Amino acid sequence: MAVIVVDGLAKRYGPMQAVSDVSFEIQHGEVFALLGPNGAGKTTTIEILEGFRRRDAGRVEVLGMDPAERATSMQLRERTGVVLQELAVEPYLTVLEVLQRNAGYYPAPRDPAEVVELVGLSEKAGSRVKTLSGGQMRRLDLGLGIVGNPELLYLDEPTTGFDPSARRDAWEVVRRLTSGGTTVLLTTHYMDEAETLASRVAVMSGGRVVAEGTPQALGGRDTSDALIRFRVPDGVAVADLPVPPTSVASDTVQIRTGDAVEVLRVLTNWAAAQHVELAGLTCERLTLEDVYLRLVGYEREQG
Amino acid sequence: MTLTAALVRRRTQMMGRQLYYEQLSFWRNPFGAFFTVGFSLIFLVLLAASGGATKVTFLGVKEVQYYVPGFAAYGVMSACFNTLAISLVNRRETGLLKRIRLSPLPAWAMIGALALNAMVVSVVQVVLLLLVGRFGFGARLPENWAPLVLAIAVGVVCFTALGVAASTLVPNEDAAGPMISIVFFVMLFLSGLWFPLQPGSALAQFSRYFPVGPLIDATFAPFHLVPGASAWSWGNIGVVAIWGAVGFVVAVRRFRFEPRRAK
Repeated sequence: MAVIVVDGLAKRYGPMQAVSDVSFEIQHGEVFALLGPNGAGKTTTIEILEGFRRRDAGRVEVLGMDPAERATSMQLRERTGVVLQELAVEPYLTVLEVLQRNAGYYPAPRDPAEVVELVGLSEKAGSRVKTLSGGQMRRLDLGLGIVGNPELLYLDEPTTGFDPSARRDAWEVVRRLTSGGTTVLLTTHYMDEAETLASRVAVMSGGRVVAEGTPQALGGRDTSDALIRFRVPDGVAVADLPVPPTSVASDTVQIRTGDAVEVLRVLTNWAAAQHVELAGLTCERLTLEDVYLRLVGYEREQG
Repeated sequence: MTLTAALVRRRTQMMGRQLYYEQLSFWRNPFGAFFTVGFSLIFLVLLAASGGATKVTFLGVKEVQYYVPGFAAYGVMSACFNTLAISLVNRRETGLLKRIRLSPLPAWAMIGALALNAMVVSVVQVVLLLLVGRFGFGARLPENWAPLVLAIAVGVVCFTALGVAASTLVPNEDAAGPMISIVFFVMLFLSGLWFPLQPGSALAQFSRYFPVGPLIDATFAPFHLVPGASAWSWGNIGVVAIWGAVGFVVAVRRFRFEPRRAK
């Protein structure tokens, strides 16, 4: 079942076309990541899905409802959770009070005490919000996003400003939520976050979706050429290697190939027969970040 | 959509709960509580105690008798106009309003609770001022309570509307304090609270068109200090109400949930 359907979405602010012809679907229980540089149209797209902004054109369905429809907007808000980029909590209430208050907005909320634990703020439950550190504040934001027990959760750069261990904890929270069937729409600038959490990603650039797929296959990552690297063994001339190198820099050989398994087999057999070592041998494919940067046109700008 | 009794009950509960948390938040904020509630009391005490003000008279009335209704009006204005406007700007700019917009709490319940909060704070102040004036400085209490309640009620509603309207004119949270304070103090200056305006003077005439002076006079009238004057100051209440209506229209037309400041 599709939780979110976006078809031909467009939005313009004055002369600027913020989003044009964006289409994607998010299935129940999926974690879908929207990637893209600032100004790519991610936030506008999410705000339209949240019902915060009107669209100019296209079809949008969230949990079977049109977010622009006033009659169902309350029902939609009761079933979705939002974690925004801004830190926005009253400073003089305690962590538990804020969660208790917000839990009261929803028909079937989670237990606020349980949420405090889930986001790792147990020791701070009775502390006023203004005493929280930046990272703790973001965890409270996450807690506020899930306290209503949402079927669909929007996470807008949820771990920006987290230290590495807090990020792992936040990812664990998201994983626990999705194993319980919550659908997540995530935006992030961290490729490892998208790779760890998302079952599918879409890359936006200039208001359009320029690529969509699993993090493993995005932009043909899985079928792209692999890059094999090793140092030229002592006493061996580059010309004597069994596979012609693509390039040689100082004494490191690079071989770009579409068939890494075959090239590695030939190389390692040769090395064994010659009794030489292939020092520093690595075999890499494009990282998600490589693919992402290529998709959003970063390399081109760099010349 | 028909509103069932259950839905009405649920929404009333929602607003009540929201008011509870607004009150918690307000009284725990030392600046809010002190500058809003403490200031009017301190002004009253300082002005009434200085220079034997309880003996000095102006227009045949003991000064303290003038300051009690004056600072009651000040209290209403500072809670409903200043505190509400600044807190709305802060909430808008920090994204709190936007977050509320995305939660199932209806916007009217959030704004309603904020306004109710200001009203509760106003009433607390008026009661405190009356008590301190009466028992601290021997000021008379009003002979007729109904017009006092009406004046305060109209003042609260009017300045709440003006507070929301003013918040829509402030571009960001850094400007909120200075901008709102300047408007507040100019209006106070015009009202004759700090030094009574000479009746019939140009400034006194001019100040009739602003809401603060008329609110003070409407609050003053029920104390029956001027022989023969009516406790019901309809003209003044009318001026305040018109300002309230203008504020309401501006508030409704200009209110935004999103931060103004570009990120």
